[in-house]
Amino acid sequence: MTNPFEDPDGRYLVLVNEEGQHSLWPTFADVPAGWTVAHGEDTRQACLDYVNEHWTDMRPKSLIAAMEQHERG
Amino acid sequence: MTTGRGRLEDVLPLSPLQQGLYFHAALDDRDLYATQLVLDLEGPLDVAALKRAASALLARHANLRCGFRQRKNGEPVQLVHREVALPWEEATGDPGAVAERERARPFDLARPPLLRFTLVPGGPDRNRLIVTSHHILLDGWSMPVLAEEFFTLYLGGTLPPVTPYKRYLEWLAGRDRTAAREAWAKALDGVEEPTLVAPATAAGPPVPPRRVTTEVALDLSAVRRHGLTPNTLVQGAWGLLLSRLTGRDDVVFGAAVSGRPPEIPGVGRMVGLFVNTVPVRVRIDEERSVAALLTRLQDEQAELFPHQHAGLTEISRTPLFDTMTAFENYPQPGDIALGDVRLTRVDLFDATHYPLALVAAPLGGDRLWLRLDHRPDAYDDAEAALLLARVERLLRAMAARPDAPVGDLDILLPGERDRILGDWADGPPAAPPRTLPELVGTWVGRTPDAPAVTCEDTTLTYAELWARAGALAGELTALGVGPETIVAIALPRSVNFVVSALGVSRAGGAYLPIDPGYPPDRVAFMLDDARPACLIAPPGVPLPYDGPRLSPPAAGRDVRTRPVRPENAAYVIYTSGSTGRPKGVVVSHAGLASLAATEIEGFGLAPGDRTLHFSSPSFDASVFELLMGLASGGTVTIVPPDVYGGEALRDVLREVTHGFVAPAVLAGLDADGPANPRTLVVGGESCPPGLVERWAPGRRMINAYGPTETTVAATMSAPLTGDATTIGLPITGARVYVLDGRLRPVPPGVPGELYVAGIGLARGYLNRPAPTAERFVAGPFGPGRMYRTGDLVRRRADGRLEYLGRTDAQVKVRGFRIEPGEIEAVLAGQDGVGRAAVVVREDRPGDRRLVAYVTGDADPAELRRAAARTLPGHLVPSAVVVLDALPLGPSGKLDRAALPAPEVSGVSRPPLGPLEEVLCGLFAEVLGLDRVGVEDGFFELGGDSLLATRLAGRVRAELGADLPVRTVFEAPTVAALAGRLDAAPAGGTAPLDVLLPLRARGDRPPLFCVHPAVGVAWSYAGLLRHLPDRPVYGLQARGIARDEDLPGSVEEMAADYVAVIRGVQPHGPYHLLGWSLGGLIAHAMAVRLRAGGEQVALLALLDAYPLDGDPDAEVPLPDLLRDLGFAVPEEVTAEDVAGLLEGSALGGIDVHRLEGLYRAYLNALRNGRRFVPGRFDGDLLLFTAARNTEAPPADVWAPYAARVEPYAVDCAHTEMADPGPLAHIAAKLKESLDP
Repeated sequence: MTNPFEDPDGRYLVLVNEEGQHSLWPTFADVPAGWTVAHGEDTRQACLDYVNEHWTDMRPKSLIAAMEQHERG
Repeated sequence: MTTGRGRLEDVLPLSPLQQGLYFHAALDDRDLYATQLVLDLEGPLDVAALKRAASALLARHANLRCGFRQRKNGEPVQLVHREVALPWEEATGDPGAVAERERARPFDLARPPLLRFTLVPGGPDRNRLIVTSHHILLDGWSMPVLAEEFFTLYLGGTLPPVTPYKRYLEWLAGRDRTAAREAWAKALDGVEEPTLVAPATAAGPPVPPRRVTTEVALDLSAVRRHGLTPNTLVQGAWGLLLSRLTGRDDVVFGAAVSGRPPEIPGVGRMVGLFVNTVPVRVRIDEERSVAALLTRLQDEQAELFPHQHAGLTEISRTPLFDTMTAFENYPQPGDIALGDVRLTRVDLFDATHYPLALVAAPLGGDRLWLRLDHRPDAYDDAEAALLLARVERLLRAMAARPDAPVGDLDILLPGERDRILGDWADGPPAAPPRTLPELVGTWVGRTPDAPAVTCEDTTLTYAELWARAGALAGELTALGVGPETIVAIALPRSVNFVVSALGVSRAGGAYLPIDPGYPPDRVAFMLDDARPACLIAPPGVPLPYDGPRLSPPAAGRDVRTRPVRPENAAYVIYTSGSTGRPKGVVVSHAGLASLAATEIEGFGLAPGDRTLHFSSPSFDASVFELLMGLASGGTVTIVPPDVYGGEALRDVLREVTHGFVAPAVLAGLDADGPANPRTLVVGGESCPPGLVERWAPGRRMINAYGPTETTVAATMSAPLTGDATTIGLPITGARVYVLDGRLRPVPPGVPGELYVAGIGLARGYLNRPAPTAERFVAGPFGPGRMYRTGDLVRRRADGRLEYLGRTDAQVKVRGFRIEPGEIEAVLAGQDGVGRAAVVVREDRPGDRRLVAYVTGDADPAELRRAAARTLPGHLVPSAVVVLDALPLGPSGKLDRAALPAPEVSGVSRPPLGPLEEVLCGLFAEVLGLDRVGVEDGFFELGGDSLLATRLAGRVRAELGADLPVRTVFEAPTVAALAGRLDAAPAGGTAPLDVLLPLRARGDRPPLFCVHPAVGVAWSYAGLLRHLPDRPVYGLQARGIARDEDLPGSVEEMAADYVAVIRGVQPHGPYHLLGWSLGGLIAHAMAVRLRAGGEQVALLALLDAYPLDGDPDAEVPLPDLLRDLGFAVPEEVTAEDVAGLLEGSALGGIDVHRLEGLYRAYLNALRNGRRFVPGRFDGDLLLFTAARNTEAPPADVWAPYAARVEPYAVDCAHTEMADPGPLAHIAAKLKESLDP
């Protein structure tokens, strides 16, 4: 079985959810609820490059917010 | 053959399908190729008239009076008898049972007629008429014709003359087979592997199929608008189903075609066997429309229509499929006029040997009748009914929306989808998230003085553990450690490690375990990659780290620590990863409470229980272990770090109530003794059934599954009984999905990749956004992300998951997709096997072989046989290696790289003896290969039961030996089969006598082949397959079979051999052939025969030239062995030779005979060097080895023959009798032999 995320010639999107988490996503599949397209469609590598560039803090956004609030408070 | 006048009307050849059926019937003692027509008749029946009608049918159709026999040369023929008795029976009893009994009653193919009429009365004016025939006589399409004619005759009507079946056979003989082969080759170009869906299809003889049926009403108007036929729709639906079941986008199955050539007048009214099965290839592009897929399919089929007569073995040498479809028209009740008798029901049983066969028949309107014939050894009735329901669903969807993309089609049934994505996907609701300090702190408050952790002589109470961890947390906080800070702990499994991990957690940080036993490079990599803020390690241990470093506190005082959120990172654990650099998995506290809840409930944990801690802290199983004790108020019992298993581990196990042990470690332990641990959890790799049998009785044994990327576990089995492959259902707070390559959920029974979601999901890979985004992906079926595990699983009918292996461990050997886990499970289930591992090795480049490793005391050969009994041939390992223990890596998992290569003898063994030579040729021929080694497995090379049947047929034809097909399964190598045949009288030719009958039968004059210097003539066996119908004899040197005087010259040898061949063929024309020195002898024989006034029609020399050189030069023994075909080193001892011959046809001969062989060899060479040829007054056909650079020019023979015709073969001198060169030589020989 070929995995839909492992096709070197496939076309992909980068999806982001409200926690700022990024996901590679094959274009043939519908975008799941709760996710928006951040990049693409594009090649697999270009999508991964995008992720590397834009997902710099891998903590969930709600955690970042809570920790910042704690620091301030 | 003479036609017995009066008794026989005609003798006819067989069609390709008839031939196939003939061999099946002749060679398999359970012949199941019955076709049956069942007619229910209501009304007053005139039985006498019925019988008259049946007799009239037999008189009308010559082919219904055929019997089948084999000519002496093995070729089957059908004999048309002038008259046959009417086989009419009137039976009583349950009509269904009678019909079944009739189907099971075999026919004797030699005794016509091969059909029977059985009348079963079922009440007043109710009768069932059963017409049972052998499939070789009639196909399903003939049945309506037969039934209609039957009733016309019953009513006293007359019928127009029928076109005889002979016409069809003549038409068949006139087909362009080359064009057909080319057309099929083009159609199947690029098919990478066969489409096999049934489990273990090649593993046994056929069993009678069962059937499930349904009716479906479709709106076909849209399909028709696209110009598509219902048959195409059915084929498309079947192809799609196969695609979804196999996860492939290019599938092949068989289709029954009517095989009735329209150019034969009246072909539609003929009865007989016309039907053929041809491949249908369906290529699926999920993005394109259903109509596009069906149109392409229909166009391709139309293009192939003129070539549908080709036999399956002509189309492809290797099996392509194990399922088929048929589209049939049955007579409908009411279609047939019967006077005052009404036909109320028609049923037809067709012969099939495929595990699955879908039959569709139009019912009028847009209704289709569907029947799925299934072999019960592959699919039970319920499974078959489910498959049929999926077909029905696909048909409806495709007919309703031909313009929809193929990818939108769903094979899940209503309700099934909800179950798969609902109950089966979701574990119990997640527990409220709590941090590690919160989970442990509960018990510090409740039972401060209870022992929390113990190792040998050291025990800490909950209060002591808490205080020491608090002290450490204070130090860490002072160093700036807080939430999201990583602290490395370079300690072995110990009380101190537990204190440190809890201390880091209480400071708010995430701990990173570093196994001090790891290679320095790996330790350095982790420290560099994770950049911990601080390192906890014993003083004095050198580590490549220059940040702050602490020792674990020996005692401590509790401090106030910082608040931690469940969403904060709890630990970072590195995965080894088969490719690329290791990645640190960041796991938060959020899933710990759910894991603890699963453990407490699933394992029956209570305060005071003693739980095992045996895993290395650098594996996440250690988190599983620590929670088991510390989150339940129990005592974590630590196995000292220098204990890896064995008796020392068993001693600790006896002390604990609950424990997790990897199967590999468990396999090395003695299961006897006390019931402790009461709960035993296994996981981390698949658990062989033998372990479950040993360990499960008397305790709760559970299989846990989970990648490092989840909070340790994702699924867990119910207490195991016998079935160890199940990994159960999702644990508390987890969700699991089994998806195909298009992210669609797969139905139960179909392998798919496991995706895990839920509260336990890790945050991702430390500082690795792209790899995280690749593996932790958006979840289409629920909130948040899901992790794609790379694990291949399948749901059972009850929804429980079965672990099948890694998706990337799936390998291909000879084009077959192989799942090592499946083979391992079979081997591990055999008596005497502890553990089993199966890998693909490529010890010689290009030679990929499955090798199995097992522990225990099982016999490797018996294991292979056992595997062959339950697994398809391509899954049977080519070698089984027994080891004391499987090599384990640091995690306790199998270290595949450390498995030894199977021992292969350094010297390859050639076929020895004529029998092995012939069998090698037959194996190669049937399998479509150039060459087959004596130890190569028939099924490993792509053989299946059908090809085994052909092999048996060829063995019968060439060797005259009756070989039951199952013998091929039991003895699937040339060496093994030769052993079986040698024991049988028919195969027992004395391999060393002067006259060696390679094939004694045949209508034409024999070909005599003279031995080369080596003295034996076995290698000429390779000619047999290219020279059908002609006897072939070898001439071998004297002095090998027995002690006797050796001939003193080539002329003396020639005189001797001429006398011998005259015993076979008293007078010419003679046909002589000789390779190398044998060429000189053949030439001398020809000269002698001519001098005696005999004709010599052929004198063929294979790279033979008059020799020169010192007649008495010594020739070393290795040269002899090389001439025999062995690959031998320069130095060789008598023991080596004995070893080489062991198990071969020569294995039984003593050293004395071997010396005889050597003496005869030296003698022949000596004679050859002294030989001066005479003159042969005929043509000399000289095959020259084009790569023999030392050969003299062909005209060196000019003085010794009337004419020399040279013919170059692209090979070396020693390769002339190899299969490739022999094929060329035989082709040329045939021109001379059959001018």
